[in-house]
Amino acid sequence: MKPSSRRLNNPMSRDKTDMLSLLVACLLVLLPHFFHLPLWISAGVVTLLGWRSWITWTGRRLPPRWLLLPIAALAMGGIYLAYRTFLGRDAGVAMLALLLILKLLEMHAKRDLFVVLFLSFFLLLTNFFYSQNIATALMMAIAVLALLTAQLSFQFTGAVPPFKKKLRLAGLIVGLATPLMLVLFLLFPRIQGPLWGMPGDASGARSGLSDSMTPGMISSLALSDEIAFRVRFIDPVPPQASLYWRATVLSSFDGRTWTALPQTPMKAGSVQALPGSTSTRYEVTMEPHGRRWLFALETPLAPPQLSGSSAYLANDFQLLATTRIGSRLRYEVTSWTQSSLQAGGTPDELNDALQRTVGYNPATTDFARRLLAQSSDSAELVGLVLQYFRREPFSYTLEPPLLGRNSVDEFLFSSRAGFCEHYASAFVVLMRELGIPARVVTGYQGGEINPSDGYMEVRQSDAHAWAEVWIEQRGWIRVDPTGAVAPERIQRSVASQSARRLFGGLVTLSPARDSWLAMTRFSWDALSNAWNQRVLNYSPEQQKSLVARLGIDNIDWPVLTALMLAAGSLVMAVMMLPLLMNRIRVNPADKLYATFCRRMARYGITRAAHDGPRTFMAAVTASALLPAPKKVAALRFLDGYEALQYGTVEPRRRSAALSRLHSLLTACR
Amino acid sequence: MTLQRNRIGTWIDRWLYRLAGPEAGEIMLDQRRVFIVPTGAGWGFAAMLTLLFIGSVNYNLNLGFAFTFLIASCAVVDMHLTFRNLAYLHLAPGRAAAVFCGDTALFELQLINRRKHDRYAIWLDFYGHAAAVAQAIDVAASGTSSVTLGVASTVRGWLPAPRVRLVTRFPLGLLRAWSYWQPDLRVLVYPHPEENAPPLPLAASPAAHGVGLAGNDDFAGIRPYRAGDPLQQLAWRQIARIDPALGGMLLTKHFEGGAASELVIDFAALPRAMDLELKLSRMTRWILDAEAGGLAYAFRLGALDLPPAHGPAQQAICLQALAEFA
Repeated sequence: MKPSSRRLNNPMSRDKTDMLSLLVACLLVLLPHFFHLPLWISAGVVTLLGWRSWITWTGRRLPPRWLLLPIAALAMGGIYLAYRTFLGRDAGVAMLALLLILKLLEMHAKRDLFVVLFLSFFLLLTNFFYSQNIATALMMAIAVLALLTAQLSFQFTGAVPPFKKKLRLAGLIVGLATPLMLVLFLLFPRIQGPLWGMPGDASGARSGLSDSMTPGMISSLALSDEIAFRVRFIDPVPPQASLYWRATVLSSFDGRTWTALPQTPMKAGSVQALPGSTSTRYEVTMEPHGRRWLFALETPLAPPQLSGSSAYLANDFQLLATTRIGSRLRYEVTSWTQSSLQAGGTPDELNDALQRTVGYNPATTDFARRLLAQSSDSAELVGLVLQYFRREPFSYTLEPPLLGRNSVDEFLFSSRAGFCEHYASAFVVLMRELGIPARVVTGYQGGEINPSDGYMEVRQSDAHAWAEVWIEQRGWIRVDPTGAVAPERIQRSVASQSARRLFGGLVTLSPARDSWLAMTRFSWDALSNAWNQRVLNYSPEQQKSLVARLGIDNIDWPVLTALMLAAGSLVMAVMMLPLLMNRIRVNPADKLYATFCRRMARYGITRAAHDGPRTFMAAVTASALLPAPKKVAALRFLDGYEALQYGTVEPRRRSAALSRLHSLLTACR
Repeated sequence: MTLQRNRIGTWIDRWLYRLAGPEAGEIMLDQRRVFIVPTGAGWGFAAMLTLLFIGSVNYNLNLGFAFTFLIASCAVVDMHLTFRNLAYLHLAPGRAAAVFCGDTALFELQLINRRKHDRYAIWLDFYGHAAAVAQAIDVAASGTSSVTLGVASTVRGWLPAPRVRLVTRFPLGLLRAWSYWQPDLRVLVYPHPEENAPPLPLAASPAAHGVGLAGNDDFAGIRPYRAGDPLQQLAWRQIARIDPALGGMLLTKHFEGGAASELVIDFAALPRAMDLELKLSRMTRWILDAEAGGLAYAFRLGALDLPPAHGPAQQAICLQALAEFA
């Protein structure tokens, strides 16, 4: 038996179907990667796969090595040109995909089949670098099924069952494996990664707020329907108008772009609640954005506890993690919602907030001088500026005209059209001209409760920018100049918020919140949220609390391993016993007959293997050792047995005949 | 060294494989007799799982964990299915016909599946016979399959079937389950018929009427045709009278007396200096020649002294005596 010498590219129809099912499985494995691989690789992979299918279909020979080597070299060169490296996530995935295809073209022995399968399994795992949603999980399950079907197809030697039966066998394997997989998933001692440094591109480019603001940037987010984070309120949900989710504070302006200043942790005790302040507790589940900030309602009380990282509260109320957030994160925070609190601004901080860009926006400087002539009180000046926004014909639009060098002048006095970034930026510049410390805050405003699971969803389209000014005796207070112009942007009714665009604006959802499309969407979002919360966020902490709920405290990994092995064995026993225990059913009459023969043997009447009941009857009759009443019972038993086995006992009388045999058996004990 | 290894081998056979001589009749491969180890591909699969796990840890991929555990569980299920593919299979020896030394002895083996699942791709071969070709066989649910394995015969006498090895890797090829079976099955190996042997020892017969050919001197009537009767002895005239299509039969002319008693295949008559195996080989050839020629022959070997006769029964007795001659 030399399976390795069996050629797989034999032009036999059976080998053909095996090979084609393997090719289909490989295509399923590669399919999700086409979304992020460069076009030339996707096209190359499809071409080579087509070539391989054609070779299999027509029963031709595989290409010779001198033809494959240049193709492989070309592919490697292409990858190097595209990524400038062979390492890292994207280049690695591209390499694996090309390797898989080239191996398929160079597949001669049975051993090569396993190389192809192993490469496919690796490629399936790399899918999760890009997406771990429900659809990806389903796609993974289908691909595993296809791969197993292909794998077992190659193992048949004689009769080959139809494809349906092979698929059913693969389904049986996956089905039986699922309970065991669940046990392992829940109880396998988890190690918190990473084991080594992640390649720089592991978290990938993600949409979301950036750490600088050039008016015009957020507009691209305004069209994105992606969820930025979800919030579960432990305390009652605050009103829409106070849902300002702070992300980053921008204090430095170069005339065009706002950027953040280096952060320093806030000193303890610098936040004091004024009488009448209310706080709210909530839990945020953040999508990874590759940056360090965490989202919280304005003025969080304290930094949250993170698993695997730590966070601190910066002196401008930013919540910052010590590492970039590359995976989904869940944390609990408490915030003051009524911004009636006192925070002492340090002189340094106030100095930064008074920085002016000299040489820009002369009209704004003039305007500020005129305002200063009217009042010298900071609060009053803020009110005057907001009044100016309200009085003059400012408009809110997501498609504002382009602005020139003196962007604030142009915006304030000529174009007067823009959105939150323009308003916040112009307002802060104006405040600084007035000598009032001010800064830009970016984040998200609002959020929508999903009626299916009660989570508030905050989307990229909720991205917002507002301003903060420092006023003596009150500290930093929030001012939203956009609200002065377009209050509906802040006090949005829920109905207008539901009117979202799907498929890049091709379909506009009906604004009615209870339309079936909206309901479907809510359900889908709730389902993927449950998926995120239950499956993707299952961490060592979650594992601990699950085991604690089973009544085992003080868990360490040996206990966990023992628990896992116990549960695994139990599950396996439950699954496997029916597979092994389909015993042959013994005819009940035969069972009685066997007992009868054993009893007769005690009286020296033995039955040879070839003796029928008639012959045995003669032996019983002839026996001298058997007492007479027992002999009668024995003969009647044999008679009854013969009638039951070979005679014509009606099916409905069978049980009665059996019980009669049973009592006769007892009689001849 | 070899002795020690043999001892260890015997001990392994007895203790691990529970093999203590041939097993009579039908046997069942119970779980105690089926062994299972990963194949090379299986070890590769384990290494791949390790890498997948490390990757999932490093990149904190919870679905990666789920995926790794799913395919690891598939391998565990594969272990059970591979085991089940072989375990509780019933085996029974089939027929085995005698052969001449040098020919391939064929052993028929029955595989009986009393379970409700099909068994696929069970490879059978004779363990320790490098040249033996393994055969793959499927056994349908509640069905029986038979397979014939051959082994070259090198010595005359009784040839017991070598130890049968059953191997399966079905369904995923990651594990290899195997079992051994020593069926109580043997084949009689006749001596090799000598090639280019001298003609039948007719002249050597002591009877000397001097005339006629052996065994067909006196016409003694006709009898029904028996397989092996030479064509020239068919009673064509009698056959022609009855049309075979109307229930007629082939008839053979029967001769008695005369030189018939002169054909004696006698071990003692062969030259004393001749090699024993060559003598047996020559006698085998003569028996075959005599049968082919339809000649009755007397046979003397050791204590066996058979009167002249011919036909399958005579041939079988003589050939068995030759095969078993010590």
